[in-house]
Amino acid sequence: MSEQGDKLGAEGARKWPTKPEFTPEMLEEMEKLLPAKLNRVVAASLSGCIHCGMCSDACHYSVSIPEDKTLVPAYKADRFRKWYKSRYDWLGQIFPSFVGAHKLDKELADDMYDKLWGACTMCRRCTFNCPMGVDYGMLVRAARGIMQQVGRVPQHLQDTVDTHHNSGNNMAVPRDEFIETMEWIEEELQDEEGCENFKIPVDKKGAQYFLTLNPREPKYYPLTIQASAKVLNAAGVDFTISSRYWDLTNYALFNGYDPDAKEFSMWQVEDVKRLGCEYLLAGECGHGYRSLRWELPNWVGGVPFKITSMMELLAKLVQQHRLKLAKSVWKGHRFTYHDSCNIARSGGIMEEPRIIINAATDDFVEMEHNRENSYCCGGGGGALAMPEFTPRRIAAGKIKADEIKATGADIVLQSCHNCTDQLKEIIEHYHIKAKVMNLAELLAPALII
Amino acid sequence: MENHVSYALHILEEPVQYLALAFMALMYIIKISQMLKKPIPPEKAELKGDRVAGAFDSLLNVLKPWSMESTRNNPYFYIEFLIFHIGVALTIGATFFIPLFPSLMTLTVSKIFMIFMGLAFLIGLRRIYRRLTVPEIRIISSPDDFFAITLMTVFFAVGFGAMSLWIKGSPDTGWMWIFFLMTTFFLLYVPFSKISHYVLYPFGRINFGRIFGGRGVLNKNVKAPSWNPK
Repeated sequence: MSEQGDKLGAEGARKWPTKPEFTPEMLEEMEKLLPAKLNRVVAASLSGCIHCGMCSDACHYSVSIPEDKTLVPAYKADRFRKWYKSRYDWLGQIFPSFVGAHKLDKELADDMYDKLWGACTMCRRCTFNCPMGVDYGMLVRAARGIMQQVGRVPQHLQDTVDTHHNSGNNMAVPRDEFIETMEWIEEELQDEEGCENFKIPVDKKGAQYFLTLNPREPKYYPLTIQASAKVLNAAGVDFTISSRYWDLTNYALFNGYDPDAKEFSMWQVEDVKRLGCEYLLAGECGHGYRSLRWELPNWVGGVPFKITSMMELLAKLVQQHRLKLAKSVWKGHRFTYHDSCNIARSGGIMEEPRIIINAATDDFVEMEHNRENSYCCGGGGGALAMPEFTPRRIAAGKIKADEIKATGADIVLQSCHNCTDQLKEIIEHYHIKAKVMNLAELLAPALII
Repeated sequence: MENHVSYALHILEEPVQYLALAFMALMYIIKISQMLKKPIPPEKAELKGDRVAGAFDSLLNVLKPWSMESTRNNPYFYIEFLIFHIGVALTIGATFFIPLFPSLMTLTVSKIFMIFMGLAFLIGLRRIYRRLTVPEIRIISSPDDFFAITLMTVFFAVGFGAMSLWIKGSPDTGWMWIFFLMTTFFLLYVPFSKISHYVLYPFGRINFGRIFGGRGVLNKNVKAPSWNPK
């Protein structure tokens, strides 16, 4: 890691050697990699399935595409489990076909690739409906990690990780360009009425909150940064954005490669320490929040600061009456909220968004499945970075589209950029008249300054 | 009830069973120790909830059909599950009570055992039918899945038959021989079969409870111990 120079990311540029198909040598290598992936959660999840089928109604793929029975979670996980059983199940080693065990061959590996990259978003809804507590998220990530290490990984997903590795953020935004963007957004913010003195402090040492962003924001959605900055300024929050490691995403959560996950986390930890902030503040991003809040401390072995999220902070600001809001701004609009899987089910943030929403609007309707029971929109698990599976991803979003439609809402709120893009796509595909916004975008126009 | 049986059946009912039981225990010890050797993923994040309370909450999940959508929306399936597993416990229990504590097996107790055996038998038949006919279940079913449920279903039927003769004062019957032979087979076979899932149940549930309890997703009534952003 370069310390203070303009070069961000790792020293040497890397292009991960991806492979178009499995070869015997790759399968051999996978056999060697398997044992290291078997921690107690993964091993229990591979051993524990009783094929009861209770997960079949829990998955947005199997519910949205009912004609394809191979999308049932137990079937998908069995692509990995068959291999595991052929090596570790006592009966599976003697009578493999009796227990559904199968040696790892090209056909099984191809099936694993298709089902575990392209038909699972690791949303863990099936995990919450499994009587045995099988953790499909962990299991799938372990399988993905093995495939990734031998080079069989969706190209675009790996490119995203490589870009992060090489540039310090996953869209290769140069440091000077990022600083310019922040300055431009600050000017735009100051042009708003009552916001003349609002700031977007970059690299402010000793700020209380170290705000992180999703690279889509400076690149494509600068207005979300403006909205977040407006709300934080209005509440008098002491925050800063780093000009270095401001990217909260960590796509190594999706490709399963722990050394990269750890490396990206470590950069951010060092940067928070550099600026001496009390809190690492995750912006509105689902997997980014989970990566920072729940995985980063494990990847780097603990951190000397606290980690929180915009959802939690905004809810706190509302509860402390530090934000004055005019609900009349949103009169005539109906809202619903989509719980990102990584924020709610895997992250424990369920009531905070509702505190925020109810402070800004009187017309909020829950979807049929919400909080930890929410269906994945289909954009999780890195699915948006795997264009080869796009038709299936859109088809799997049907259950979410149906639930949005049933609320009659014309604005779908969420706190995740992968969800944003997927929700926009399914709303268009399933002909729903609704707009997608994040929580800062809900609050910013309603602020009484 | 009395249990005057031939010496041969006595050998099957006691020493053979003990040996088979010891074998099963040994296999389980190996199985559990293998699982315990696997490293537990670390948790160094500041917790929002209680991992221990989460683990307990998760372990008791089996008694809380309302806690999972899959059981909440399928109460009939859950009731079947409950009766079936009570049937399993009582049928296996009968193979110990009959030779060891026949006096506990009063007519009323025996009839209760038989009711559960009979219900479990019917549920077993339905489960076999379901596994054969529901496409999403059939596609995930291995021969072991079919064998296990069939074996259990036959076991219930044999247990029911053996006990119905036993309460009429005929302890040494062909049914009883088959019942105990099947029990012996079970004790030897179960550690290698999916039927041993109950040994893995605590691992899966505790893992789940620790992770999601710590993150404040489970047992929400437990106040977050340490997390309160300013």
